[in-house]
Amino acid sequence: MLNLKKKFIPQISQIGEDNLQPICADKFDLREILLTTDLMKKTLLTILSLMFINCVSNSQIINREPLSPRITGYRIEAKLNTESQTVVGYMEAFWVNYSSDMVRDVQLHMYMNAFKSNKTTLYSEINSKASLKETEKGRIDIQTFTAADGANLLPSAQYFSPDDGNLHDSTVIQVILPQAVKPGDTVSIKVNFETKLPSRIRRTGYADDYYFIAQWFPKFGVYETTGMRYRMTSGWNCHQFHAHSEFYANHSVYDVKITVPNEYIVGTGGLLLDETDSGDGEKTLTYRAEDIPDFAWTAWPGYKVFTEQWEHVKITLLIPGERLEQVERQFTAVKNALEYLTKNVGPYPWPHLTFVDPPAKGSGAGGMEYTTIFTSASFFKIPVCFHVPEMVTVHEFGHAYFMGILASNEFEEPWMDEGINSFWEERIMDHYWGENSGMIDNPLLRISDKSISRISYVSSGSRQVVSNNEYSWNYPHHTYSMMSYQKTATWLYTLMGIIGEETTNEIFREYYRRWAFKHPSGKDFINVVNDIVRNTHGDEFGPDMNWFFDQTLYGTGICDYKVSDLHNIKLESALKDSTLVDTLKKNLPAHDTLYKAVACIERAGEVMLPVDVLIHFTNGDEVLESWDGKARYKDFVYTGKRMIEWIKVDPEYKIRMDVNFINNSMTQDPNRIPLRRFTNKIISLMQFFVSAFTL
Amino acid sequence: MKIFKAYESGFRRSLNAWKGVVIVWFFSLLSVSLVALPMKGAIKAAFGKSMVTDKLMGGLDVEVLVDLGASLRILTHFFSSGLFFLILAGFLANSFLAGGLFDTLKKSDNRISAAEFFRASAGNFWSFLGISSIISIIIIIIGFLVVGLPAGFISNLHADSEKTPYIIVLISILVFFTIVAILNLVADYARSWQVTKEKKSCFKALGFGFNRTFRTFFPSFLMMFIIMIVLVLFNLLVLKILGPWRPVTGAGVLLLFIVSQLLFFVKVLIKTWRYGSVTSLMEQSNPDDNLV
Repeated sequence: MLNLKKKFIPQISQIGEDNLQPICADKFDLREILLTTDLMKKTLLTILSLMFINCVSNSQIINREPLSPRITGYRIEAKLNTESQTVVGYMEAFWVNYSSDMVRDVQLHMYMNAFKSNKTTLYSEINSKASLKETEKGRIDIQTFTAADGANLLPSAQYFSPDDGNLHDSTVIQVILPQAVKPGDTVSIKVNFETKLPSRIRRTGYADDYYFIAQWFPKFGVYETTGMRYRMTSGWNCHQFHAHSEFYANHSVYDVKITVPNEYIVGTGGLLLDETDSGDGEKTLTYRAEDIPDFAWTAWPGYKVFTEQWEHVKITLLIPGERLEQVERQFTAVKNALEYLTKNVGPYPWPHLTFVDPPAKGSGAGGMEYTTIFTSASFFKIPVCFHVPEMVTVHEFGHAYFMGILASNEFEEPWMDEGINSFWEERIMDHYWGENSGMIDNPLLRISDKSISRISYVSSGSRQVVSNNEYSWNYPHHTYSMMSYQKTATWLYTLMGIIGEETTNEIFREYYRRWAFKHPSGKDFINVVNDIVRNTHGDEFGPDMNWFFDQTLYGTGICDYKVSDLHNIKLESALKDSTLVDTLKKNLPAHDTLYKAVACIERAGEVMLPVDVLIHFTNGDEVLESWDGKARYKDFVYTGKRMIEWIKVDPEYKIRMDVNFINNSMTQDPNRIPLRRFTNKIISLMQFFVSAFTL
Repeated sequence: MKIFKAYESGFRRSLNAWKGVVIVWFFSLLSVSLVALPMKGAIKAAFGKSMVTDKLMGGLDVEVLVDLGASLRILTHFFSSGLFFLILAGFLANSFLAGGLFDTLKKSDNRISAAEFFRASAGNFWSFLGISSIISIIIIIIGFLVVGLPAGFISNLHADSEKTPYIIVLISILVFFTIVAILNLVADYARSWQVTKEKKSCFKALGFGFNRTFRTFFPSFLMMFIIMIVLVLFNLLVLKILGPWRPVTGAGVLLLFIVSQLLFFVKVLIKTWRYGSVTSLMEQSNPDDNLV
């Protein structure tokens, strides 16, 4: 582990055109320099003056202290050309070798090349064989690529496809460095690039005069050291652009200047520092962003801008003018999410947040997250009872935590961002919009948000083909969404049902404390769960909770507990035959018949979880039994005067992974009123419907 | 004045035709029950002795429905094929029973026996079936042209304004509603005229229907449009009453059944009122109906 305090941590602002040499505090000694020649003295003065500038410019602008180690940083000057739908950019960026390795190359994402042709990995994975129109194509062209010393790096750069070997994919570039980078050294690069935006927005692109610009500049991959996440040896983690995957990057600082035509309204994940009018119909906006893994922005003349304050956070909403009636709904949603996650997970550390409701023509940009900027999804006149805009806003904001702050690898463990975030989204929606009406709240139909996840998982015919432990692009049979979003949220609810809500919240608080602004893996999350559960519940659930994750996260089994039968057997014949019981019989009045009452419970699925069994007797007694749920069946037998009236396994439906709640209970006298009511309504509905179809 | 008189006369005629209304209501209940009652048995079997039905006391629970698994798929197929059967049966039954209804309505003070009702129904069946089929086909085609095409076009259009497609769809629906009102008028005039004739011909009747509709367009259309709005409002009221009503006792469920059937009876009565009003208007305009 490197001690960051001993290092000189470069800030992007120090990488000016005149100062592109790798700088590291332990690489020079001031006293040694003072003793050398006049030339060296001049150099020293230059360095000292630059250091002074650095001291000023290095000061944090957004947060007082850096929230993350300054591994990478970017200074970009970009100009949006609305005629050619291109972004022309100049970028200076650095990467610090925090490992103890000699690193011979750097790897960068070139994700806009995913739109280059229909043979890229992106289009192969969506099985699009139709050739792309010229406007639908996107690409990023590097015009110059130099090192700090001006050395041309382009000849030593090559595209490669680490995930699938696709020769037509050029979304990852490897640059062999002239010299290996020593531990602690910094690689600085200067790149002139032009990004052509695709017309069909798939997270990024343009539609008419609407722009959502993401994955638009060359961005460093993550150099992972041995022991980090699952690394056996150090190396770059730089995946290709996939259809069903999001991203993975270091937390970085960004100084970005964006030039756009004057009429365009711009939103970014940065803090606006300056705006200047160039006088030729264009304006330049200067943004600063700190400790975020990506920098995305949007530009459209049709946005209306609204701002509100929530505690320390200035929230900016960009929304089409025709959806003004949704402004309040959107702000309420994001404030609820801020409040809930701050209370139960950890503080939102940035003082700014921008969110965007894209217009219909830019709907391809909807529902995406870039930490301090995210997009919601909505449409004109959406009824208030449908909480879809709120749900999308809560979900995408939640990614500021699960991916933004807790920067897991979305390529390799998508459940860690999408699944965990869906779990929190559902909790927030059902908490603020009603336990049974988080998604739809209409007198005719109410649906909770958490129901949607369980329904998707339970009803999927492919729920057992793969476990959650899979790379995002490897999920077969279209199971990516169901597995990484819905199944994960469902087993997290199940975990909460077992260990309790407060323990669950404490797990996430601890997860935040340990892993904020780092790259946690699944095993890191499980370690937190194990520690907190052990601290809170002792050995109640065993030495650790691995048994749970082995079955839910890493397993493909289903969970299904059922009541298979209930008997109440009269013991009259036994009473007659047995002298022992005869004695008893003498003492019993005629109506005091003895019964052997049996509750038969079965485990129909593979997953074994502890469950409660509630048994209700005819005399009103109730017994709550605990079962470890491991055996294939369990009979609870009671002898006495009372008969079993009904039995419920998991009476509070805490085990939401259970794929069938119907067989969880059995009674002698089922409640048929809802069915009769339902039939009556079906009869009326059909009568009115058929009548409407006849003249 | 003509319209009010037609409404008043139509209302009186529809009350006089209560036997016909009861027959229509009863047939509807019978045919729907043929589908709904076996479905109820299937639902009951799917839930068995489970107590999960308690979760349905507060209303529909989608999780419980999905947990029905294969049973839900069977029920869905049963419901959709049952509905198709009911629409078909309803269409034929309407063609049959409307004959009796229109025959009952043709004289304002005429009371008719059940036997006469069915005799008239049988006598007019083929002609009424032709009228209903032709008008229904026209409605389907116009629906596709007026609503389907614009909606399809708009869904593929990256319009700058989101309001515009919304307004276009609303206008499409309104235009469709207006055209349906006109076609209903044509069908009603045609059927009203047909029951007065010995010789049955759906084409001649439709000719009369179109002729009469456009010769007396304003009062006829206004009258029909208002009745259709009344029907729409009544349907919304029914939805408002029956939708959120969730009785939790056996007596409550029985009350729900009675109220829902009463409401459907009223719906049939309003439709009969429509038939009666059109018949009355036709008689007012030209009692001898020598237009064709």
